[in-house]
Amino acid sequence: MRLYEFEAKKLFSKAGIPIPQGELVKSPEDAKAFAEKLGKPVVLKAQILSGGRGKAGGIKFVQNPSEAERKVSELLSLKIKGFPVEMVLAEEKVELDKELYLGGTIDRVNYKLVIIACTEGGMEIEDVAKKSPEKVKKLNLDIDEKLYNFQAQGLAKWLGVKGDQIRNVGSIISTLFKVFKSYDAKLVEINPLVLTKEGKYIACDARMSVDDDALFRHKELSEMGIEKRHEEGEMTEREKKAREWGIPYLDLDGNIGMFPGGAGFGIMGNDFIHYFGGKPANFMDSGGGPTPERLAKMLILLDENPQVKAIFGARFGGISRCDDFAKGVVIFLKEHGLSKPMVLRMTGNMWKEGLEIFEQAKKENQEIFRNIEIHGIETPIEEIAKRVVELAKNN
Amino acid sequence: MAILVDKNSKVIVQGITGGVGRFHTERMLRYGTKIVAGTSPGKGGEKVFGLPVYDSVEECVKNHQADTSVIFLPAQFVLEACVEAIYAGIKLVVVIPEHIPIFDMMQIRKEALKHNALVIGGNTAGIITPGEANLGIMPDIAFSPGRIGTVSRSGSLTYYVADTLTRTGYGETTCIGLGGDPVLGTTFDEILWLFEKDERTKAVVLVGEIGGVYEEKAKETINKMKKPVIAMVGGLFAPPGKRMGHAGAIVEGEMGTAQSKLKALEEGGAHIARTFLDIPEILKKLGI
Repeated sequence: MRLYEFEAKKLFSKAGIPIPQGELVKSPEDAKAFAEKLGKPVVLKAQILSGGRGKAGGIKFVQNPSEAERKVSELLSLKIKGFPVEMVLAEEKVELDKELYLGGTIDRVNYKLVIIACTEGGMEIEDVAKKSPEKVKKLNLDIDEKLYNFQAQGLAKWLGVKGDQIRNVGSIISTLFKVFKSYDAKLVEINPLVLTKEGKYIACDARMSVDDDALFRHKELSEMGIEKRHEEGEMTEREKKAREWGIPYLDLDGNIGMFPGGAGFGIMGNDFIHYFGGKPANFMDSGGGPTPERLAKMLILLDENPQVKAIFGARFGGISRCDDFAKGVVIFLKEHGLSKPMVLRMTGNMWKEGLEIFEQAKKENQEIFRNIEIHGIETPIEEIAKRVVELAKNN
Repeated sequence: MAILVDKNSKVIVQGITGGVGRFHTERMLRYGTKIVAGTSPGKGGEKVFGLPVYDSVEECVKNHQADTSVIFLPAQFVLEACVEAIYAGIKLVVVIPEHIPIFDMMQIRKEALKHNALVIGGNTAGIITPGEANLGIMPDIAFSPGRIGTVSRSGSLTYYVADTLTRTGYGETTCIGLGGDPVLGTTFDEILWLFEKDERTKAVVLVGEIGGVYEEKAKETINKMKKPVIAMVGGLFAPPGKRMGHAGAIVEGEMGTAQSKLKALEEGGAHIARTFLDIPEILKKLGI
C-alpha cells in the first residue's frame, strides 16, 4: 500500500529525519495563509498515489501568497493518471547545493533487505542504475541483521559526504532503515536528499509503501489515518461497484464474461479465451472460499454488462468448494436471472454436492437453467473456452 | 518414490480445532494421509476425528515422531507456528493461509534454512503425492499416481494440469503448490532439483504466472537438469500495470511479465505449452 508523500514525511520526521517546513493544504485560502506565515518562496506539490507527478504538472514553485493561492486552485482541478488532486503539500522552497538518493527495498530473489544509495538524486533511480551503475551502491542485509552505524557512515562517505556531515547522513541512513523495518515497509525512498545552501541535509521528497498484510500490527498507522486505500487511479462504474462488493474486478474490452475460480486460473483463462479467438470482457477473482452471496454478485456484474455476450464459468473446488459455488449460481438464477448464454465447468472438492444442488434447483424450476450448459471433469477446460468463444460470436 | 511426502510421512495439523482445519483434516484423513496429531495451544487433551490434540508441536514430535506439518491458522500466527514447528524438528511445513506479512516470511525462510527444513507457501493449496498423502486443500478428483511431477504457484492451475495428466493416463508423482503470496518459503528451483533426483518422475511440468520473480530464477536450474521440463505461463494477455488477483500477480518492471518469464524458461531449455492439452502432446513427442 502506497503512502502519500506527506504521510511518509510525517513518519520520517517523527523518526528524526529532517524534512522541509510545510503544511498539507486542501484549499487555495489555506495555501495563501501558509505562504503568508512562511514569508518565503513556496513549492506546491500535488498529493497523489502515483509517480510521474512532476512531468504531469503536479509541482509548482511560487514567489508570494497570492500566486500560491492561484496555483493551488489550478492544482486542485487537476487529474494526474486518473487521480483527482485533492490535497497539496505546501513547503518552503529549499535552496540546494547537492542532491543524493537513499532508498530501502526488498530483494525477493535473494530474500534480503537492500539499502540503496546513489550519488545522483532527483532522478528515476532505475534510469541512473541502468546508465551509470557505478553511481549506485547497494547494501544487502538479512531480515534479522542490524545495520551498524559504521556501515551507514561508510555509505555516507561513499556518497561523497565529508567531515562532520558523515555522522549526520549516516544517521539519516540508519533512521530510514529503522523506519523501513519498524513499519513493515516494502519501499522507503528519499529522493532527493538535499544538501541545502545552509549546509544541512534534508529529505525533500519521500516515498513509502507498506505491506498491506502487516497492517494489523501497525495501529499507529491507522491512528494517523493511514489505512487500506484504493490505488488504481480511474475506475469504471462497474469496477467501483465490484469494489463496494469486495470483488477484485477489472473491465477489459472484449465480450466474454469471465467467472473463473482462483486468480491463477483467472489469469490463464484470459489467455485461453484469446488463444481460441475470443476476447474477455473482464478479469475477476473470487478469492479463497467465497460465500454463495458473493458468487451471485459476481454473476450479476457480468449479466448486467451489456458488452458481455456469453459467460465462461469455471470452478475447480479447492478451498472454495463446489457446493458453495453451486449455491451461489442458484441464488443468482433465482433472484436475478441469467439473460445470456453461460458455460460452466465444475469439479473438485464437493463436486457431487454441487451437482445435487443444481439438480434440486432444476426440479423446482427448469426454466431458470435454460441458458446454462453445465460440465464436469470429463470435459477439458479448453473445450469450455472454445464453446464460449463460439457462443459469444453467435449471440 | 515421490518427493517431500509419501504414505510414511507423519503429519500434524497446526490449527486442527478451527473450522477450516477440521474440514480439511477430515478430507486429508479420508485420502489416507497419515495424520498423527494436531495442535491448538490451550486445547491439549482434546480429540479431533480421534486424533490427539496437543498444546505444542514439541509434544507431537515426542509422542508421535511427527516430521511434517500443515498449518491452518490466521496469517498473523503463522510466523510463530512455523518457527515452533521448525525448532521442534519438523522438516516440512506447509503453510495454507494467505496474506502472510513479507518480513515474517523472510524470517521463516531464514529459520528453515538454518535448521535444514522446507517451508512451502504461504497461500498454497498444498502438496499431494497421489495415492499416498494429500497435505492441504487440493481436490482428490484431479489426481492419480503416475510419472510426472508438477509445480505451480497457483492452486487452480495445479488442479487443471493434474486433471489433464490424469485424463491422458500419465498421472503424477508429486504435485506442489508453491503459493500465491509475494514472498514464498520455497521456490521453483528448489523443487525442480528434488524432482530431478526422484527416480519415478520422468518429466516436470512448471506453471508460472505474471508477477514475482521466481520463474526467472528457475532458468539456471532447468538448464542443469537432465529431465525435461514443460513450462506454461499465465498472463500473456494481461493488461500491463493492472493488478490481477494475487498480491503476487502484479506486473512489476520487466521481470514480472509473462514475456520475461517465458523467455527465461525457454532459454533454460523448457518446452513451452500454451494450453493444458499441449502438455500430453509434448510428453508424447519426448517419448514419455
